[in-house]
Amino acid sequence: MPRRILPAALVAAAAGIGLYWWLTAAVPLAGAVTAPAFTPDIANGEVIFNAGGCASCHAVPNQPDRLKLGGGLAIPSPFGTFYAPNISPDPTDGIGRWSEADFITAVMRGVSPAGSHFFPAFPYTSYAHAQPKDVRDLFAYLKTLPPVPGKVRDHDVPFPFNIRRNVGIWKLLFFDDKPFVPDLSRSAAWNRGAYLVNSFGHCAECHSPRNFLGGIIAAQRFAGGPNPEGEGWVPNITEKGLSDWSEKDIAYFLETGQTPDGDSAGGAMTRVIKNTSQLPEADRTAIATYIKSLPPVEGPPRPPKKKKEGEG
Amino acid sequence: MKRSIVVAGALVLGLGAVMAEPDQVKDTQTMMKGNGKNAGALAAMVKGEKPYDQATVDAAIKQFADTAAKLPTLFPASIKGKPFDGDYSPSSKIWEDKAGFDEHIASFAKVIGDAKGKITDLDTLKAQLSVIGKQCGGCHETFRIKKT
Repeated sequence: MPRRILPAALVAAAAGIGLYWWLTAAVPLAGAVTAPAFTPDIANGEVIFNAGGCASCHAVPNQPDRLKLGGGLAIPSPFGTFYAPNISPDPTDGIGRWSEADFITAVMRGVSPAGSHFFPAFPYTSYAHAQPKDVRDLFAYLKTLPPVPGKVRDHDVPFPFNIRRNVGIWKLLFFDDKPFVPDLSRSAAWNRGAYLVNSFGHCAECHSPRNFLGGIIAAQRFAGGPNPEGEGWVPNITEKGLSDWSEKDIAYFLETGQTPDGDSAGGAMTRVIKNTSQLPEADRTAIATYIKSLPPVEGPPRPPKKKKEGEG
Repeated sequence: MKRSIVVAGALVLGLGAVMAEPDQVKDTQTMMKGNGKNAGALAAMVKGEKPYDQATVDAAIKQFADTAAKLPTLFPASIKGKPFDGDYSPSSKIWEDKAGFDEHIASFAKVIGDAKGKITDLDTLKAQLSVIGKQCGGCHETFRIKKT
């Protein structure tokens, strides 16, 4: 009975669209707007900037000044290529006109001032665990940096991944926005390390395998996996991979990029070291304390080593 | 007799042309592993695990200088795409961005040249090793791939 089915189908479609709209809505962080006035700690903002690795993606590529946050770096992924936006205080091309509430909502919820979802190439999935005070200090620090004119090109992401509304569904599946809760049975240093690693440090974003939708496989958090940005492999940083590293070795690596056997960091980790080398010594030690405490977890199977020529 | 053993050996291992390339791969890896060993020895002193030792420093700097001199020949186009055993392989960017790669080599050579004779105690070692380490990382960032 097409005549009877048609209205029902229309109602179902409307309900479906309504449901989709509701599920995929970008909701700003409640409370961000009403946060009480405070005097920001710019020095802490700088620590947070370095812990968060903001410069690694947002600094203008191929020039030495990591505080020129005009963006433009291409970030390849299985879903397309993202281009890091301009987060300098430029009022037209950067975030100069953003309110503090806009910034907190962007960093901790992945929602833009215009009310759309940011793609999770921006690691708000980790930053969500930050303390709002640190994000406010970070905002104040970013305001002290030079404005850089120039709008960054659009992302090069094919359908259907380019539909920002779909990120709302992705968030329902994979976005854990619970705040960081200290473990009182552990030392202050361990808790500081746990906080930095899981919030601003966003270590798990590369050092964990992801499923086919790009969500982190929680059971293998920190167990390494294929390089999300292309060729190669990201190491397992649980005890499975780092059992022969001491806390001191990890802290020294974060300072200098040198591994215990004299090798150097390579790939994207080189950029991470540029940030961690700027952190206070105590923070590097705290990160090392926490990383060293990660129980051994087997990562995804590694690619087989290439055989020698002639061995078939 | 000797000659026939060599010929037989060559046949077993494959043609001479093919043989030359794995040798280059091996030489390159040996060189790089030597660098790591030396850098590790220096780091052990900086970390306070070993006492400062001038002979170790001088040997390391000599090895780095050797590497700097040989680097332009360590990655000939013939080893592009060749299988590398172990954890790392060279990125194809070495040959795609030859100018960028050469720039890194020149920069490394300059830093090592500057460091020569300047390291006389733990403090000077600390300062210089940090500069040298950045050179290693700067090149490995783009031109080396971690496979496993």
